[in-house]
This record gives sequence, structure tokens and C-alpha cells, in this order.
Amino acid sequence: MELLLSNLAHGFGVALSLQNVSFALLGALIGTAIGVLPGIGPVATISLLLPITFGLPATTAIIMLAGIFYGAQYGGSTTAILLNLPGEVSSVVTTLEGYKMARNGRAGAALATAAIGSFFAGSIATILVAASGPLLTQVALSFGPADYFSLMLLGLIIACVLAQGSIIKAVGMVVLGVALGLVGTDVQTGQQRFTFGIPELSDGIGFVPIAMGMFGIAEIILNLERPESRSVLSSKVGSLWLTREEFKRATPAVLRGTVVGSFLGILPGGGASLAAFGSYMMERKMSKGRHLFGTGAIEGVAGPEAANNAAAQTSFIPLLTLGIPSNAVMALMVGALIIQGIQPGPRMVEAQPDLFWGLIASMWIGNLMLLVINLPMIGMWVKLLQVPYRFLYPSILVFCCIGVYSLNNNVFDVYMTVLFTVFGYMCNKLKLEPAPLLIGFVLGPMMEEHLRRAMLLSRGDWGVFIQRPISATMLGIAVFALGLMLMPNIRKGKDKALAE
Amino acid sequence: MQLKINAKDLASGIFLMLVALVGLYLNQDHSLGSARRMGPGYMPMMVFYIQGGLAALVIFFSLFSGPDPLAKWTGMDAGALVLGIAAGTLAWKFSPLVWSFFGQTYNAVGLGIIVGFLVLAISSGWKVVAIICAAVALFGLVLEKGGFFAALTAVILVSCAAEHTHTKKGVVGLLAFLLLLCWWVFIYELDIRVNLWPQS
Repeated sequence: MELLLSNLAHGFGVALSLQNVSFALLGALIGTAIGVLPGIGPVATISLLLPITFGLPATTAIIMLAGIFYGAQYGGSTTAILLNLPGEVSSVVTTLEGYKMARNGRAGAALATAAIGSFFAGSIATILVAASGPLLTQVALSFGPADYFSLMLLGLIIACVLAQGSIIKAVGMVVLGVALGLVGTDVQTGQQRFTFGIPELSDGIGFVPIAMGMFGIAEIILNLERPESRSVLSSKVGSLWLTREEFKRATPAVLRGTVVGSFLGILPGGGASLAAFGSYMMERKMSKGRHLFGTGAIEGVAGPEAANNAAAQTSFIPLLTLGIPSNAVMALMVGALIIQGIQPGPRMVEAQPDLFWGLIASMWIGNLMLLVINLPMIGMWVKLLQVPYRFLYPSILVFCCIGVYSLNNNVFDVYMTVLFTVFGYMCNKLKLEPAPLLIGFVLGPMMEEHLRRAMLLSRGDWGVFIQRPISATMLGIAVFALGLMLMPNIRKGKDKALAE
Repeated sequence: MQLKINAKDLASGIFLMLVALVGLYLNQDHSLGSARRMGPGYMPMMVFYIQGGLAALVIFFSLFSGPDPLAKWTGMDAGALVLGIAAGTLAWKFSPLVWSFFGQTYNAVGLGIIVGFLVLAISSGWKVVAIICAAVALFGLVLEKGGFFAALTAVILVSCAAEHTHTKKGVVGLLAFLLLLCWWVFIYELDIRVNLWPQS
């Protein structure tokens, strides 16, 4: 406990430096902005800004990128409540009750509930990250290569199970991602694999061109093809204060949302949108105001908003302790760390205390900033919605181009981005999910390394994966999760849950 | 059981299968090694076999889970695709003979991409995707020789053609704003290494 406090104090020391505070603020501002704007999400934005963070110190870069991620959760709720328009996927359920509340003239109360609930949940989840970090790291240090391999396999499988649509296609995309990760020089023998004699490919396919093409530019194209449906309303926000009655009803919902969100955030493939939906279902069944659902129940705003923010924070746990990304945003964080020359994994807490504790402290500071950014300045964000998309997309495109080029100062990356844009566009038309591909791409090379090491240690005996208890447990869970999804009833339930 | 073909899944399965087959073919160059000492070809072999198996499953299930047809292609869309690929390939192969500039680095590739996509843009179904991709490729082609500002101008002007509600005034304003913003962010603040003006 004392150690935790002194570590946290160290973290605050790092996070409160002028540079880190200003970049946390910048991240939170950008995050809120893209959260408010439909059509550009945290994945695209973070991949856009990855090359720019190249010149920053590692801690500062990660602090800013993290700020964008959880800032987007705050911003997304604003438009959901005021305009019935979810800015992010994770705030879709907020529209259900939030917009009704706004209709009833309680927009201010709904916004305040969302912001305060998010802040509370974010703070609790941050403490959870801080406490579980060193603990899980201790466990992870006893992992052998076989255990690591099984853990990554489990991560990949759960990411697929929770992905939208067909599981087989999602697994196919993961494997394709792993295959893309094979391109480049083989680490152990130095042999070139699948490089077609192109020198730029000997380091492997760049992470940024894939992310930027599939999530950034392909997204622009799809938005342009859809007719613009954004109606600009001038909404009256009304009083931000909650009545005593509302406060009483919102508090337990926030608490439940925090618990649900924290748990679902840790799961690979989970994350903010699943957490928000889980919490919404729970409130509709359990809360005192359940008979009011559909007419603007405050529980339906408080719970999911707390849950999505809690999940956004706790999804950092697998990344920071095990080095395993649980969703596409975390895969980008791995990319950012690797660009900075830091190998994510259990040794990170000890080797990079500034980064680990600084990030945790900055999350709390960032959440506090977001509370200020969102509540009093709400009018400004609504104004942002009045910028038409035809002015936004050339700006995004230009930033993408310069960002990709400046990564290696090589136009080859620009052409790779075009290739992955076309691929991302095709995937969308074929209903292939891009997120599992990105996770597979990041985990693939690490999996190969651990597999080879494990097999070398076991002298070529594949049984090692079921003889080691940790590894066997992981594989067992993976098989169980896959088996569960093959049962038609549960599958239908999942599709329904994720389709909302 | 009645066949209800899910065309989207079928196409996805065929795509995954093709990649797996090509991967296995290319992997013949790499030594496999043994399970104990895996060579560079061992992991790719496993990955592509698994992918091939999954692709076969996707193809099999796609025969019964439909109908989910692909978006309709007009004759124009298909024709433009063929023409675009042909024009792009020609530009890529023969442009270095016309101007030595295209013989350097990846310039011929860039030109090929641009020409191909611009031809593709004549059909209305491909217009948006083709124009945006051509704009990005144009940035790559212009940047090193034409400089930062020329490349930005090219991207912005071309990408604006993808959206029909743009007005002349709006585009000019946007152009001026973005040039200034990008100069400030990337050159003044981040100081990336790139030529600002055309090189002789």
C-alpha cells in the first residue's frame, strides 16, 4: 500500500510536468473534438497522430494518445444526448435515454450525469489499473514462452468472439493479420520473407500505413459515399444541476456501471462499447427506475456512461502488464510504444516506471480536465458540429499524407497507405472486420517468437502447451469461449447485443 | 438443403483462400526446419494452412447463410476497373522511357496508381474511392520534386472533387487555411525534413 502511494506520488510528479500536462490537455481536447464529430473515431485519430508523436518523449506521447482515447468517450456522449447522434460507437446506448431526457428539458442534467459519472468511473478504474499493474506483472514474470503463446492465442480468440458478425471471418482476419506480420526479415535467421526484393519491406510492413489506410482514409471514403445526415439543431442545454431525486437514482447506476465497465474493459476484445451496452441491459433489469426506461430514465445515461469510461481505462491493464492489446486502440498503443523503442510487456512497469505511473496519474488528471472541458464549454463543442464534413475530410486527408510520409521520410509508405485504403474499403464492402486484423498484425511476430522459443525449450514436444498449467488454462478458456459461440442461442444473443 | 448463397461471405472466403495459396507458394523458398528448431518457413506454413482451412469453412457456410448479395456493378463500373488497371500498368511500365524522373525511386509506381485511379473515376460507382486514392498517391509523387506546398495543394484540390457540394470560394478558403495550418504544425512546430518549394 505504501509502495503504491509512493509510486503514485512519483507518477504525479511525472504527469504534472508542464510538458506532460499540456500534452494531456491537448489529447483530451482532440479526443473530445473527435468524440463530438461523428465519422472520425479514436482509432483513426490515434493512427493519424502516431507519426507526430515520434519526436516526443515516450511518456508524453503515450499520455497524449491515451487522452485522445478516453476523451472521445466524453465527447461522444455530448452529441448522443443533444442531437440523438452518437459521436462514437460506445455512446450509442446513451442516445436511448439521454436524448429523451433532453426532450424533456433535462439535457443539462443528462450531460452533467454523463460527465460526473464518467469522471467517477474513470477515477475508480484508474486506481484499479494502478493496483493491479504491479500485481499482474508479478504473475506475468513467472510466465514461460509457452504460457505467453497461449495467452496471446486466448487474446486473439476472445477478440474474435466479441467481434461483430461472423466469427470464422473474424478469425480469418486475425490470421491474415498474423500473415501480414510475417513480411520482413526473419529475426532468428536473417532471411527475407515475402519482401519481393523491396528494400522498404525488409523491416516489415509499416504499422502506420495499415492503420491509417484501413481506419483513417477508408473511413473518409465511406463517409463521403453516405449522404450527410447531420442535422444541426440549436438545443437548449438547461440547468446542469441534478435534482435530489435524480441524484439518488443516478448514484447506484454509476456504481454498477463502474463495476461492469471495469470488468468488461479488461477482457480482450471488450472495451468501451461492450461495457456501455452491458451496463444498459443491467440498468433496464435491475434499477429502481426501470419502469421509466424509454421515457428518459437517468439510470440509462448514468450507468452506460460510467461503464464506457471505466472500460476505456481498464483496457490499458492487459497492455501495460502483459503487453497484449485488447482492442484496436490498444494495438495502436503497442505500435506507438514500439516506435518509441519500448517493448511492451511485464518488464515495462519496472523498466519504465515513469511511463507506467506517469500514464496512470495522467489518466486521473485527464479525467479531471475533461470534466472541465465538457461541462462549462459544452456550447463550443456543439458549434463544432456545424463545420460541414466537406471541409473536414480534406483536412484529415492532408494530415494523413504528411503523417505517413514523415514517419520514414519515404514516399513508399504513402503508396502502401493507398494499398491499404483500397483493402480497407473492400473489407467494409465484404463485411470483414478490420480490428481483428490489426490485433493479429501486432501480436503475430511476438507469437512466432514465443512459439519458437517454447518449442526449442521443449525439444520439439507440442505437449508443452497442455502440460504447463498456466498455458493449459488459457487454452481451455479459449476453447470454451469458441465452443460457447458455436451454440446458436448465445450467438444470436451476442449479435443482437452488438448490433444495437 | 436449399442453396442460399451469401455472396459477401463467398467473396471473402475466396479472397482469404487466394492469399493463403499465394503465401504457401511463396513459402516454398524458405526452409521449414523441424518443430524443435523452426526455420523461417515453419510459422508461415502453419499460418497459411490455418488460413486456407478457415477460408474453406467461410466458403462452405456462405453457400447456406445468404442471400446477401454484393453491391450491384454497372457495366461502366466493370469496364472502368479493367481500363483503369490497364492504363495504370501501362503508365507504370512505360513512363520511365518518356521522362527520366519516373525512373527514380517509386515515381513510376506512383504515376501508375494515379493514372489507374483517375481512369477508374469516370464511373460513378468508383468515383469517391478513386479520387481519394489518387489524391493520396499524387501527394507522394509531387512531394519530393514539387515540394511541400505544391503537394498539399494537389491533394486538397483533387480530394475536393470527390464531393459535389464544394463551392469555389470554399475550396480556396480551405486551401489557404490548410496550407497555413500545415506549415505551422509540421514545419514550424515539428520541423519535419522536407523540401518546401519545387526543386530544379
